[in-house]
Amino acid sequence: MNDAAPKPTSIRRRLLIFLIGSAALMVSCAAIVTYWVALHLANSAYDRALLDPALDIADNVRLDKVGAHIDLPEKALEALTYDQVDKVIFQVRSRENAIIDGVPDLPPAPDFDPGQHLFFNGSYHGEKVRVAALRSASGIVVQVAETLHKRNRLVGEILIAELVATALVALGSIALAWFGVTRGLLPFEHLRRELLTRTPSDLRSLTETPSPIEIAPLIIAFNQLLGHLRDANTMQKRFLANAAHQLRTPLAGLQMHLELLFRRELPTDVRTELERMHGATVRASRLATQLLALANAESAPQQGREREIVDLLTIASATARDWAPRAFDLKIDLGFSLEHAVILGESVLLAELVDNLIDNALRYTPAGGRVTVATGCDRDLPYLSVEDTGPGIPPAERGKVLERFYRITGTPGEGSGLGLAIVREIAERHGAELDIDACNEHNGTRVRVTFPRKVRSEGLVV
Amino acid sequence: MRALVVEDDALLAEGLTTVLSRAGHTVVRATTGKHADVLLVNEEFEFVVLDIGLPDFDGFELLRRLRQRRSTTSVLILTARDAVEDRVHGLDLGADDYLTKPFSVTEFEARVRAMLRRGVAPATPWSVAGMTVDIAGKRVRIDERTIDLTPREWALLELFLTHPGRVISKDHIAESIFTFDDQLSPNAIEVHVSRLRTKIEPVGSRLRTVRGFGYLWDVGDE
Repeated sequence: MNDAAPKPTSIRRRLLIFLIGSAALMVSCAAIVTYWVALHLANSAYDRALLDPALDIADNVRLDKVGAHIDLPEKALEALTYDQVDKVIFQVRSRENAIIDGVPDLPPAPDFDPGQHLFFNGSYHGEKVRVAALRSASGIVVQVAETLHKRNRLVGEILIAELVATALVALGSIALAWFGVTRGLLPFEHLRRELLTRTPSDLRSLTETPSPIEIAPLIIAFNQLLGHLRDANTMQKRFLANAAHQLRTPLAGLQMHLELLFRRELPTDVRTELERMHGATVRASRLATQLLALANAESAPQQGREREIVDLLTIASATARDWAPRAFDLKIDLGFSLEHAVILGESVLLAELVDNLIDNALRYTPAGGRVTVATGCDRDLPYLSVEDTGPGIPPAERGKVLERFYRITGTPGEGSGLGLAIVREIAERHGAELDIDACNEHNGTRVRVTFPRKVRSEGLVV
Repeated sequence: MRALVVEDDALLAEGLTTVLSRAGHTVVRATTGKHADVLLVNEEFEFVVLDIGLPDFDGFELLRRLRQRRSTTSVLILTARDAVEDRVHGLDLGADDYLTKPFSVTEFEARVRAMLRRGVAPATPWSVAGMTVDIAGKRVRIDERTIDLTPREWALLELFLTHPGRVISKDHIAESIFTFDDQLSPNAIEVHVSRLRTKIEPVGSRLRTVRGFGYLWDVGDE
């Protein structure tokens, strides 16, 4: 399984990563610069202090017959090289580099001119030290060295103070940028909400006016797409209407000519054949209507044919006019029990829904049976139901009959198997629930379509 | 009577012509809206059978032009569209009746007859299924037997006969017949219809009940 779907990128996350990265870089650079500055400050402060004892010692070097020696009492020397934090040592060498006084194992200082002094880093017993070296006019070299503890402490303190301030500024900028981006992305959020609340049928353009220039082109492009969709929809609708006409007109002609033939004297076998042809023609017409209804129910509705307030009673009444003659022919008692049931829907599709339910009921109900169409509201939910006294649909088949072209095996009649699929499609489109059950324990079918909620509107009797 | 059939499908147009010729009408055919429009401007027709889907322009447009000229020619619309709004649109534009394709020959014949009956002066008696209706004299005869009808029963019969094969709701009956009187309940309508049905037996069995809704005058093999 390859489930390495590309992760959606987030503008905010990318921005955050960039901001944190650059902030870290800036803080690091600041730290390096601060370190050098702090080191310089610490050295220039402490180096002067380190030079003082070297000068004192150099002033007190005496040359006599014995040789060179420091003319200072032990206590004074101790005081000169005393420090609370660091270890301080000194060394005095003669012009010939012989050790006159102090520690013996401090390496000689690098070469430099007499009368000058010099600071440099060295090491003593493996420990890093700072050395102040002084060469007197007579060539005697005095070195005073101290360990780096207080210098390091000073550098650390400066560094921490500086870094805390820089880090606070960096964090503050990230937070501000985050807030700014969130605010800046707000129009996108509004756009998202507007798109989310859209129904599939709603292809109106998005409002362009108050959007920022970064989003406006996106909205304009989107509106162009919506426009294309609307056009495609209109085209499809027009195609459907034409197809309906093109298919049904020749079928109507065929049916008419067959019926005219029936009026002649015909041999029985010819009449039987013609009747079969007639039946097939009627079925083909019905199938054409149903296929178009199904295509219609699936297509996004046309602009201007959006949902309207419709009364199921009105729609069922209109279908009553169409189906009553057929019911009389079939000797089926088609009856109505109509109460107001106002919903938001597409009347053309709803009429198709009722048509298919009645067609189905009449098709599978034997002569002498009853078919009843009912509309009304049950606990505030508008419904439409069609029940018949036919053989009924076994519970196991009730889900399958909603599939296209499914017919229960052994069913008499000439159904296409599309009727209930159309009903389901239209019910789903209206957010309605479709229930199929038996009228009573023994037989019969009741198909009930329950719609989401009652629409209350002024000027309508609800 | 002179009839104009406006239909672009040759097979259907031929069928319609045959049916109307057999009923004794003189039929002129047009296959385009333009041709039909010219014919309707220049010649006299008693009625038009008009297909809505024409190759050049909409049947609705032709109908609109016809009514704009204040022509009273009866128009029966044929439509391949089931949409209720189409029918309503057609009737609003001044069509007398409509049929949805496909339709049976019997139904077509009945609709044409009913449409012409509505336009005819009430002097001529109708003969319907063995029943002779004298509109001027408000008398009905079945097999030489004169039937006495109350004004309400008469109004009912007239309504049914001018709308054969059509389901008429009780609401519609109440509105169209009894407006001059106090409001009639559905139960009262049932009583009147039931009495009318008994009086015009055996033709009365054509007056069918659509349970919970209304009535229909069955065309049968009229």
